[in-house]
This record gives sequence, C-alpha cells and structure tokens, in this order.
Amino acid sequence: MASVKDLKKKIKTTKSTLKITTAMKLVSAAKLSKAQQAIVSTRPYAEELDSTIRTVSALVQNYQNNLLKENENKHAVLLVVSSDRGLCGSYNSQLAKKVRFFLAEMKDLDFKVYFIGKKVRELVKKDVSEGKTYKFAKTEPSYLESKAVADELSTLFAAGEFGKVFVAYNVFKSAMNFIPTIKQVLPIALDKTFQEKLKSEIPFDFKYDPSPKEILDVLIPESYRSTVYTCILDALAAEHGSRMSAMDSASKNCKTAIRSLTIEMNKLRQEDITTALIEVVSGAESLNA
Amino acid sequence: MNYFMVDVLTPYRVLGRNIPAESLFVPTIRGEINILPEHTHIIAKLDTGMLSIMGAEDDPDRHFSITTGICKVLGKKITILSNVSEEQHEISQERAERALAFAQEKLDTMTLTPDEFVKYTRKIERAHLRIQIAKEFAAANNKH
Repeated sequence: MASVKDLKKKIKTTKSTLKITTAMKLVSAAKLSKAQQAIVSTRPYAEELDSTIRTVSALVQNYQNNLLKENENKHAVLLVVSSDRGLCGSYNSQLAKKVRFFLAEMKDLDFKVYFIGKKVRELVKKDVSEGKTYKFAKTEPSYLESKAVADELSTLFAAGEFGKVFVAYNVFKSAMNFIPTIKQVLPIALDKTFQEKLKSEIPFDFKYDPSPKEILDVLIPESYRSTVYTCILDALAAEHGSRMSAMDSASKNCKTAIRSLTIEMNKLRQEDITTALIEVVSGAESLNA
Repeated sequence: MNYFMVDVLTPYRVLGRNIPAESLFVPTIRGEINILPEHTHIIAKLDTGMLSIMGAEDDPDRHFSITTGICKVLGKKITILSNVSEEQHEISQERAERALAFAQEKLDTMTLTPDEFVKYTRKIERAHLRIQIAKEFAAANNKH
C-alpha cells in the first residue's frame, strides 16, 4: 500500500502534467483560431475561382487542358496530410484507418503514397508503396510551399506518370469534430449538367482578354493549387481542434486524479495521526495504572 | 455616385470585399484599362501593376499592388483575383528596396537557370512597383 510520501509524490507529478496539458490546450486554442481565420480568408478566393472556371468553361467549346484530361494510367498518387506531432486524440489513427480502407477499396489502381506530416506515415508505411515526404520550414506551410507541392504533383500528372491524384486529410468541422476524407484533385472534374444549366442562366457572353483558352490555362492550375492549399489548411485546423479537445479531456482527467489522490492521502494521514494518538493515550494510561 | 462593388481576393487573404467604387484602373496584360459604369462583361488577365479603385464623394480612393491574376466584371460586381496583392498603406518602401537589391544581386550572378532568371526579373518588377506605390503614398500623406 502506498505511503503518504508516495501519494504526495504522485500528486506533485499529476499537477505538473496538468500544467503541461493546460498550456498545450491554450496553445492549440490560439493556433486553432489562427487556422480558422486562414480558412475563412482562403474560401472566397477558392469559391470565386471555381465559379469563374465553371462559367468560362461552360461558355467555351472544345477546351482541352492537361489537368482536365482523364487518363487510363493505372498509377495513382495519394497525398496524405497528417501531423508531425502526436497528442491529438484519434486525429492520425482515424486518417490512417481511412487510408488503409481506401487503398483496399481501390485495388485496381497502383498507388504511391506521398506524405505531409510523419505520424500517418509511421502508421501505414509497412503496408503501402511509400513516396516522398514533404517538409516545411514551419508546421503551417505557406501558400508558396503548398503551391510547390501541388505543382510537383501536377507536373508528374501532366507528364503521364500518374493517372489520378488524391488527397487524404481530415476536414475540420468543429473543435470537437473532424471527418477523415479522401478527395480526387486531379484530373479536375467539371460537372457537365451544371455547365449546361449555367449556360442557360447566363444569356450573354463575356469579352475575354486575351482568349478564353488562355484565361482557362491560368485559372485551372490556380484552382487546383487553391484546392490543395484548402485541404492542407483544413487538416491543420482539424489537428489543432483535435489536440485542443484531447488536452481538455486530459486536463479534466488530471484534475479528477488529483482529487481522488488527495482524498486518499488525507485518509492515510488521518489514520497515521489516529494510530499515533492511540499509542500516546494508551502509553499514558499504562503509566497511570 | 458609387456604381460598382469590388472584391479584391488573394489565395491566402481577403484584401477587401464590396469596396464601393465609381471607376477603376486595372493593369491588364494589354495595358491599363479604365472601367466605368455600364462597362461590358469582361474577364481579363492581369499583369503586375497598380490597381486603383476610385470611390465617389466621401469614399476614399484605394490603391493596390497586383501581381498577375484575373479581373471579372459582371454587371455591377467586379472581382479581382490576384496571386499576390498589397494595399498601398501596407507596403514598406524599405522592404521593397531590400528585395530589389537582393534580386538585382542574384541577377548579376552568371549561374542562373532560365526559371530563376524569370523569377528574379519578376521580383525586380514587383519591387519597382512597390517602391513607386510607397513613394506616392508618402507624397500624398505629406500633402495632407
């Protein structure tokens, strides 16, 4: 049975763990709000870009672009966006599970798996054909860093080395909730029925400067880069959210453990005092007798 | 009277949404165009240059540095999608001068690949533009 001294030591350790988890929770909360802000700032650009592409491509006949071209190549890339650090609940394990499930489901394609963040890589590397792992100067990649990753993959795709490019990431829903998702980013799929609808809704044509083809040549790669960047930002927000709620429950557990350990320690100390008192009283009584 | 509502968007931040404007000067790849009320619907490719949004009456004029992108005019709504953009007051002349010196130094070395050459030439273009905008802003502030 633990002594009072042991319990004191345990309480002290738990208190210092509590301090760490509380600090980590606060740091994650600050990072989460920054990441959410980044998502909010990116969305209007991505949405506007998307709607412009749909409008222009609906009004232009027979447009061809390397990034839109369906191809029969059986080789494909899966870019997995996970975290470099743990202590974020089931963030990485759920994504790893999703990746395994997806790879088993898409058996007819030969996947090469690229990684951003090392945690999921550690979990799945034995089961997959491993590609490159991208590293950034900071944990949060800048738009230019994300653009470099996207461009590298699109160059491989355009060269015909891969027939499809997917991104696996956790979609941020709330601080408590995220959804592991796999999204096809290349080739870009333009919804034909939506385009027809749009064509009938816009009775006029735009003037283009230069030609619509040249405009689409700029917009389509840009939209693809923006999609990849949005996925990375979503994954980052989900990571911070998940770490925040994991640290919150860890802090709660620490507090409960400290409370029960303190009660146990007090009981033990009281027992010691009572035993000591009984000994003194019985010693005094035996002298009087 | 203000006629247009202008959005200036970049991939990583929103510089302005629904900015009221009477007219605009937009740097397209074929030169600067002036957009006035009743302008035709247009989608134009942008070049590195200064975007000026002229507000009517009490609304201030706003100036932005723009580095490539697209301008879409659809009725009274104008959207500027630019890769990199800064508003006049955010531009630091000192930083732009440092960037210019750095890019110039790189261009002077003889070991650049064609891609690097284009990269640093563009950096110089952008730095010149920023310095010009920052100087104009400083001059306008001194006047007031």
